[in-house]
Amino acid sequence: MNHFMIKQFNGLDTATLQRLHSLGLQVGSDVQAVRFYPFHGPVIIQVDHQRIGIRYQVFKLLTGGDPS
Amino acid sequence: MGLLINIFVLALIFGFAGYQIYRAVKRSKQGKCAACDYDCEAKKMLNQSKKHPV
Amino acid sequence: MTTVALLGNPNTGKTTLFNELTDKYAYVGNWTGVTVEKKVGQIRHSHTEVIDLPGVYSLNPITKDESVVTNYLLGNSPDLILNVTNASQLKRNLLLSVEVLELGVPVIITLNMIDDLKRSGHYYNLDTLSSKLGCPVRTTNARNKEGLTELRADLVCEQSEIKPNSPLKLNYPMMVNQAIRQAADSLTKDYKIDAKFAHWIAIQYINHNKVVRKYATIHQLKPLLSQKAYYDAQKFEDQIFETRLSFIENTLTTATEQLQSTKHVALTSKIDKVVTHPILGLPIFVGIFYLMFKLSFDWIGTPLSGYLDGFLSGPVSTWANQFLTQVGALPMLRSLIVNGLIAGVGGVLVFIPQIFVLFACITILEDSGYMSRAALVTDRIMEMIGLNGKAFIPLIIGFGCNVTGIMAARTIEQPKERLITTLISPFMSCSARLPIYSLFVAALFPRHQALIVLSLYFLGIVVALLMAKVYHIIFQAEEHSVFIVELPQYHIPRLDIVWHGTWDKGKGFIKKAGTIIFAGTVLIWLLSNFGVSGYVTQIDQSFAANLGQILLPIFKPMGISTWQPISALLTGVLAKEVISSSMMVLFHTSNQGALIAMIGGSFTTLSAYALLVFILLYIPCFATIGTIKSETGSAKWAAYSVVSGLVISYTLAFLIFQIGSLLM
Repeated sequence: MNHFMIKQFNGLDTATLQRLHSLGLQVGSDVQAVRFYPFHGPVIIQVDHQRIGIRYQVFKLLTGGDPS
Repeated sequence: MGLLINIFVLALIFGFAGYQIYRAVKRSKQGKCAACDYDCEAKKMLNQSKKHPV
Repeated sequence: MTTVALLGNPNTGKTTLFNELTDKYAYVGNWTGVTVEKKVGQIRHSHTEVIDLPGVYSLNPITKDESVVTNYLLGNSPDLILNVTNASQLKRNLLLSVEVLELGVPVIITLNMIDDLKRSGHYYNLDTLSSKLGCPVRTTNARNKEGLTELRADLVCEQSEIKPNSPLKLNYPMMVNQAIRQAADSLTKDYKIDAKFAHWIAIQYINHNKVVRKYATIHQLKPLLSQKAYYDAQKFEDQIFETRLSFIENTLTTATEQLQSTKHVALTSKIDKVVTHPILGLPIFVGIFYLMFKLSFDWIGTPLSGYLDGFLSGPVSTWANQFLTQVGALPMLRSLIVNGLIAGVGGVLVFIPQIFVLFACITILEDSGYMSRAALVTDRIMEMIGLNGKAFIPLIIGFGCNVTGIMAARTIEQPKERLITTLISPFMSCSARLPIYSLFVAALFPRHQALIVLSLYFLGIVVALLMAKVYHIIFQAEEHSVFIVELPQYHIPRLDIVWHGTWDKGKGFIKKAGTIIFAGTVLIWLLSNFGVSGYVTQIDQSFAANLGQILLPIFKPMGISTWQPISALLTGVLAKEVISSSMMVLFHTSNQGALIAMIGGSFTTLSAYALLVFILLYIPCFATIGTIKSETGSAKWAAYSVVSGLVISYTLAFLIFQIGSLLM
């Protein structure tokens, strides 16, 4: 399945970083990408039984690579 | 019905209408919550706090 | 009097719990900075006061409403804090709990929405949780009123009976611990700050809490201020976060129990599979709105409204006329009451069913959890115009009333994004415009009522989005916007909550009927019954007719051939509902059916649609203009919204009529 690991938080603006931290995300968290929207739209991720929508760029930054 | 009562009722209606238009214009100048007719939670709180300053 | 503060993440059912526990808001407190922040209520038959604070993810705020909580804790000390958590997302909920527990005020943690947790197949050992966290732990399900009696018993007690909590002490890395201890010690010694509070404030300061840092600057807390650079350079903030998270993970692992019967009914997943589908998501969003209009126009609203109209224009009107004749009222007064007020105000009141059905639909959307999905599926489009999906929520609220929509835009963090959202809000078709749509679609599009109305709503959205793009380019707004939406579990809407929400939104409409709609109707009656020569019996010689005829050449190119709608448009600035009541008065009709027939006679489908588009987009009502002025802080933006609305609406109506005439 679409499992990813959060590799890093570098390059995010402080507000986004802080919000993600408050949602319990950290380096090493296992993230399941539930859904990608077309045209690099938002991504729904599932972390610890909760679903969150984030922007594609943020998702790419977190997983530090090309999510295919 | 007497002419007087007729005039009185007419004046009452016009007066009330005029007052409402005046109030609408005045409230729209204040803007924000005052201009809104919907009594949302936030507005209720605001009005309450004006009545009982803490 | 015991004070209990409710505190927790957003979407944990705090407000539901608050409403279940307390009587209607007894009073409301005003706090520094923001106007309205915390609700205060009282538990029935007790001396316990409950304070409902806004939902926050952490004590370190990002938006203005979040800072309320931190400010509250800095300035007040409640006797007890009730930390409401979402049981199935305990990990991140506890991040906030840890911050609160470190304060050392007595805390009760309640695992709310406990049924969602059970359904997911596991459970927590409450005793383990309680001993690890050092505070009592309860379970509730506020929506089904589960566990509330026990919780109330915990809260209703005398101040002296509350057991003091010692602050939670986490094993932070040595360097961090040392820094906290040193700062706290000298705060206690030199500034006479209570030891517990000093400890907490030191942690929060080191953890880069903006509000606490400001507090320290104001109070000149030197021990902290002098070490600021050191704290930040050592990245203590990250270390604190990691320590807290591993403590929580540890705690939860020890406390987790597997349940035997895992009847995993993932209702939310199932719905989301369809509703947030990458390709179907948008069509479904459109479909939901179509259904909303189908309900309010075709299925429920219009039939009910027909009965109401039959009653008002039939028995009520006839009875009033007879009564007034009998008591010897002047013809003028009789005309004012029967042809003016009953026809006009009544003509708007008959739309109560439609508007209430629409409000009920919006409330259901709000209560069910669909709104955040809507923000998600629209985000890609919103991103193109430089806003984010969350800006869609104020716009949808604008369907009720543009003023509330503009107020809701306050939650948007970026000032430029907020200004753009404010400026495009009036293009959202508010409920006040429904009556006039309803009249026209009944007259000219009887078979496709819901579809035509839906097209108007979407035209409004499209124009709003296009304008947003234009503003975005002009203002050169930055790209950065925070877009993180939580997708909460769906709730089956509860009848009393839906009714409450509908009534709260809808009663404004009824109130307006007695105030501004009444006034507008009297005004239009005056204009249509008086002319240069005084009281006129022929409406063609009235002021209203003169005015309309002067402006007629301007409106000709968009297909309007009679003066009545033009005069009605002018009064519509008072409130959009007045357009409908003015039409009733100006066409001298006493019931909806007759007016619909008149409209059918003086418009073609094309000119009617052009007029509806004009009504959709032209000058915002007084209340909205005023709100734009106060929210943007300048009369220029208010004047601008009037002018831009006129230009856009005229151009579009003109184009629709002209191009349409060529094609037909």
